[in-house]
Amino acid sequence: MRCCNSPPRKTSDINVHVRRIHCESITAFLVICSLIVVPVSAAEPVRLTSDGRQKSSPVFRDGDKELVYTDFADATLFQLRRLVLADGTSELLHPKSTSAEFEPTWSADGEVYAHLKLRGVLSIGIVVRDRQGTVLHEIAPGGGFNGYRSPALSPDHSRLLFSYAERGAQQIWSSQLNGDDRKLLTESTGVNNWPAYSRDGRRIVFSSSRDNDFEVYSMNCDGSGIRRLTNSPSQDIRPRFSPEGKRIVFTSHRDGNAEIYVMDADGANIRRITATPDRDDYPEWFPDSRRLVYVAEIGGRHDLYSVSVDP
Amino acid sequence: MFNIGSFRTQTCGGLSRRSFLQLAGSVPLAMGMGSTALASASRAKSVLFVFLWGAPSHLDTCDPKPDAPAEYRGPFSVIPTRIPGVHFTELLPRIASRSDRFSLIRTHATTAPGHPDGGTVALTGFPELPVPVQPNFGSIVAKARGNQGALPPFFSITSGMLADAGRRIEGYGGGTLSQAVDPFLVGCSAAGEIKLPALQLLDQLNPLRIQDRRQLLTQLDTATRQFEHEQQVGWTRNMKSGYDLLLNPVARKAFDLTSESDKTRARYGYTTFGQSSLLALRLVEAGVPYVQLNYSRHPEAMNPGFELGWDTHIYNFELLQDQHCPTLDRAFSALLDDLYDRGLINDTLVVMMGEFGRTPKITPNAARDHWPPCYFSIWAGGGVQPGRVIGTSDKLGELPLGDVVSPLMVGTTIAQLAGIDTQARAEMNVLSGGKVIDALL
Repeated sequence: MRCCNSPPRKTSDINVHVRRIHCESITAFLVICSLIVVPVSAAEPVRLTSDGRQKSSPVFRDGDKELVYTDFADATLFQLRRLVLADGTSELLHPKSTSAEFEPTWSADGEVYAHLKLRGVLSIGIVVRDRQGTVLHEIAPGGGFNGYRSPALSPDHSRLLFSYAERGAQQIWSSQLNGDDRKLLTESTGVNNWPAYSRDGRRIVFSSSRDNDFEVYSMNCDGSGIRRLTNSPSQDIRPRFSPEGKRIVFTSHRDGNAEIYVMDADGANIRRITATPDRDDYPEWFPDSRRLVYVAEIGGRHDLYSVSVDP
Repeated sequence: MFNIGSFRTQTCGGLSRRSFLQLAGSVPLAMGMGSTALASASRAKSVLFVFLWGAPSHLDTCDPKPDAPAEYRGPFSVIPTRIPGVHFTELLPRIASRSDRFSLIRTHATTAPGHPDGGTVALTGFPELPVPVQPNFGSIVAKARGNQGALPPFFSITSGMLADAGRRIEGYGGGTLSQAVDPFLVGCSAAGEIKLPALQLLDQLNPLRIQDRRQLLTQLDTATRQFEHEQQVGWTRNMKSGYDLLLNPVARKAFDLTSESDKTRARYGYTTFGQSSLLALRLVEAGVPYVQLNYSRHPEAMNPGFELGWDTHIYNFELLQDQHCPTLDRAFSALLDDLYDRGLINDTLVVMMGEFGRTPKITPNAARDHWPPCYFSIWAGGGVQPGRVIGTSDKLGELPLGDVVSPLMVGTTIAQLAGIDTQARAEMNVLSGGKVIDALL
């Protein structure tokens, strides 16, 4: 089920779209675009942290026992924090780090992880580490103001995906873990970002603004077979395949603010998971594909929450 | 006698606690200029200048160009505002829905392409050279108003002196009007804890923790010992007035964000800018004539050791959608609502802007660089007619169409609405040649 019954928009169509929004009341627009909200139990969502600080990009490590996320505890130094779900305790993953670290990614086999690191003035590289945290590779961006975005490891940690900007467009690339053997996977106008592998490593899901605003797309791991999966008048971003490979979770602003949505891997059967007046973002699947973790801004505070999703 | 620039009393190489306290008590009186420059009745009792330091992209916020080619347009959709035919990007839904409460100028231009000079021009109306540096708009208001209440007349909310990577922004303070009308700096954390940069030498010194004079004296003994070992430390006016504020019940009340309900604080968001915005509201409520609310201390967006500013040479789209716009949208909309709900809006002039715009054409880094020729501002309250758009930019957002609004005009309009008319400005020898933005009134 799609939000709006319209074909993919061309550049010139946006005026039509704007006029449509303007002519109708906002309420009517929201009713038209609203999707069935999947009911959750009264005990859900479950709050996993309580510090209320800004945070982002949770990912699982070591099965479903621990989460690692970006913690904005210090406005001048954001760091990776490890949360033990069993008892709610947390600690900095790299407590001695003096550089900002963010956007962690773990390989499905748990052997390797990677994250972004602020290397200097407007310079952001990728650090690849083994399970123990030992640095395996540091991939520096080009000279000048430059940086990588959204690293993602293949399930067998043989390849690394990332988003990188050149010549005005931001594309998705694949490389070896040391940054060698780079392959350009997208070649479009606009911004291509937030790539993520399917569990079998054969497909990649990502978002792109090639058709004006951010929509979710999927492609083969070599960049072929690109398919557009969403068509809404606002941002559809940060898609992630479920571990069992049948569904995709993503953040969408289609109802006026950031909410979590799930759809089938082919883009069908879109349903809304969260429904709050504030921001729900950065979704990630639990390893069992039955629950999601995400960052919710509730009462002005940012915390991690989990919620069940129907199979 | 009060000698702001050179006061230094020493005993055995350290500062005299008694002389310090005597001085601290005299600061507010000394700052009261008893000015005759406030020649006309002011519409705005207070001015709240929200400085989006680093310069937000106008195309990605309040002046989108959805029909522009892809290399200009950016990835964000547009949403309607309450002003017919006017759209913002989807990143600012709350502010867009309150557009009937403010007016928007889309035809700003400045001459300064870099942050240090651009910041000075934005805050004073003039470039930093030739010296002497002209006064910050807040210092002009402070000079004209004098110290009418228990609080300093000019606060700048920041974790420290505004600076570009290497140096401070020259237009931060009094300029030709003297350091006596420099802003008093006050910081605010995401949790709402108040920090006084002038007093950073005193560990764990928090104005809300200082319960009485005896406790303060204990702290000062420690401070004195520190000064004995810190011979190079400057004893600034801000530091003196900072101590004074520690014993000032009006200041302590204004600084105490916990006296607001959690519901209110939550509406602003528990972010540094969110709680700082609430602090700004409380300072206005306490009668402070000029509050400069800075989004960050430094303009840079991705520099080691810096807060995230609006200078998005890389990560422009990511930072706007993930950090800056959600934070700003929540805090500024709450601020507007409370100014209305608490009956302050008619007496408070709100101005929000950066020091310039950002390149309409997307850079090779898929971001946006500095763009002085065209940017926007938002004005509310204090005599401004709301719900209007002043001027328009061209189809790519590169240049204003029609009359250009300069930083000098911004300062002149602020002064005018604060009751500092042409004659008063001439008597103070400030904002020379400036014109009021009549279309706002």
